[in-house]
Amino acid sequence: MPIFGEASEAEVTRAILAGFTRDLNEYAETEVIVVGGGPSGLVAARELAKQGVRAVVIERNNYIGGGFWIGGYLMNTVTIRSPAQKYLDEIGCPYSQYSKNLYVTPGPHACSKLIAATMDAGAKIQNMTSFEDVVLRENNRVAGIVINWTPVQALPHEITCVDPVGLECDVVIDATGHDASVIKSLEKRGLAKRIGEGGMWIEKSEDAVVEHTGVAYPGVIVAGMAVCSTFGLPRMGPTFGGMLLSGKRAAEVALKELGRKPKK
Amino acid sequence: MDSKKGSGDGGRREAWDLPREVYLYRDPSSVTLRLEEVSSYLKEILGLSCRVRDEFFAHHGRDLEVLAQDIASTRVRELARRFEPFEPVYGEVQFEARLLEEPTKRIPAVLYDAYRSLAVMRDLVPRQEATLKTLHIAFGHRLLGTFGEDGRYHARTVVCGFPSVVSTSGLVEAPAKPEGYYKLKARLAMAMGAIPFEAAKEPYRGQFLDYDDEHLTGVAKGYALQCAIYHIAKEPFCEDPSCRLFNAHRQSEMLTAQVTSGRLCMEHSALSSRIRDVITRGGEPDEQSRHRGRRNGHPS
Repeated sequence: MPIFGEASEAEVTRAILAGFTRDLNEYAETEVIVVGGGPSGLVAARELAKQGVRAVVIERNNYIGGGFWIGGYLMNTVTIRSPAQKYLDEIGCPYSQYSKNLYVTPGPHACSKLIAATMDAGAKIQNMTSFEDVVLRENNRVAGIVINWTPVQALPHEITCVDPVGLECDVVIDATGHDASVIKSLEKRGLAKRIGEGGMWIEKSEDAVVEHTGVAYPGVIVAGMAVCSTFGLPRMGPTFGGMLLSGKRAAEVALKELGRKPKK
Repeated sequence: MDSKKGSGDGGRREAWDLPREVYLYRDPSSVTLRLEEVSSYLKEILGLSCRVRDEFFAHHGRDLEVLAQDIASTRVRELARRFEPFEPVYGEVQFEARLLEEPTKRIPAVLYDAYRSLAVMRDLVPRQEATLKTLHIAFGHRLLGTFGEDGRYHARTVVCGFPSVVSTSGLVEAPAKPEGYYKLKARLAMAMGAIPFEAAKEPYRGQFLDYDDEHLTGVAKGYALQCAIYHIAKEPFCEDPSCRLFNAHRQSEMLTAQVTSGRLCMEHSALSSRIRDVITRGGEPDEQSRHRGRRNGHPS
């Protein structure tokens, strides 16, 4: 007696195809596209999905979570300063208090909980997909992004001459980390500018990142470390509270941009 | 800045600019700053009757978008480079607009060029108040810096000018904290890869001013006095470490001058009482001032 039920190869292929095309069809035109599946991007997508907003996360890697898997220096304990530990409560991730305002949790636990919580809330995730460019509309407002498979980008152009596809949306959240890829693509056109990151000043940088999270260009909100390079803020050390709260702030700003009132 | 050396009498009486109106502007981000007490202190020491106003930009600002653009254009982008005018990016302007709408927020980690910031503020003062007969002392949370001879920016506690600004963030960030604090912070950072700031501060608690510190109002009195003395006599600072006009570069010095001592030195005490006498007489110099002026060869 076999353990698994019968399914043909063609059936498996069609199931993959059906699921994927259903999702792609849905987010080809959506409300919010979050570029970057690190902690700030995931939190932004989760918070928006909780509000009933159609949000998709575009992640260039196969794995989701960005740097949230490990803390500093390849050690996988992540640190979070208060009050951001409350977000770990929200996603059901255990942690312990290290000192008065500092909390620690294993990176793999926190990261996997956050990914699951984001998807549980209803956000979609498209991994192995790279951001290539922005879609511009009237007055050069960003109205979507251009994507391609990451492997296509990884190979020489002569071998993989594959045109990208475009996704339309009302708001793009640039959560691409230090690269600030969305802002960078606007910079290439002379429409925006990345000021570059300042030196490390952890004590102030987390607050600064959260406070600067907002609309950096019409149609584009920056979140997480992309905020640092966009605004020339001091870099953060290996502490993630700022990422979580920046994602939360980005979702609040996106809701406002969408003209929606937050549900209680 | 000039010290009292050689000019402790506050200069010639006729060179004083005695304000008829004094306005103190609130910093809504500082919950422990009680401006009414600062106002009473200036009345007690210099005889100045102050009026407390809302936050400076909330009081004088008009076009939010333009103001946000102007403020954003004073941000210091490179600490080790002299300021060069630049066009702020869209997000910087949006950020300033948000802060103008929510003045209870404190801005962290952003430095603004002090003199350019003052110029933006000066342009907002209405013509009838843009005179040396009016003293404006604005308390604000923005961190202001000036470019030093060592080729880098330095944060400031106070920037005397028109208007004068006392930075409540500057009072915390500009004077150096105890050396041990920085060493402990570095050690903890090495040990665990993240800094438990509260743990690093704990052994030095009380040796520096922190945000929302109970000593803030006491310290603010001394800095408001520096602004007022600068406006009147053009000499805000003193060399005596126990004088409230001492230009402190370390937190310990600031707390000694403003909290432990909390007084003026003899010379500045005498100067302040002369100013107070003149102000309470409605701006007319008394006989003593006239004689002093003649003795110094500067008839008043």
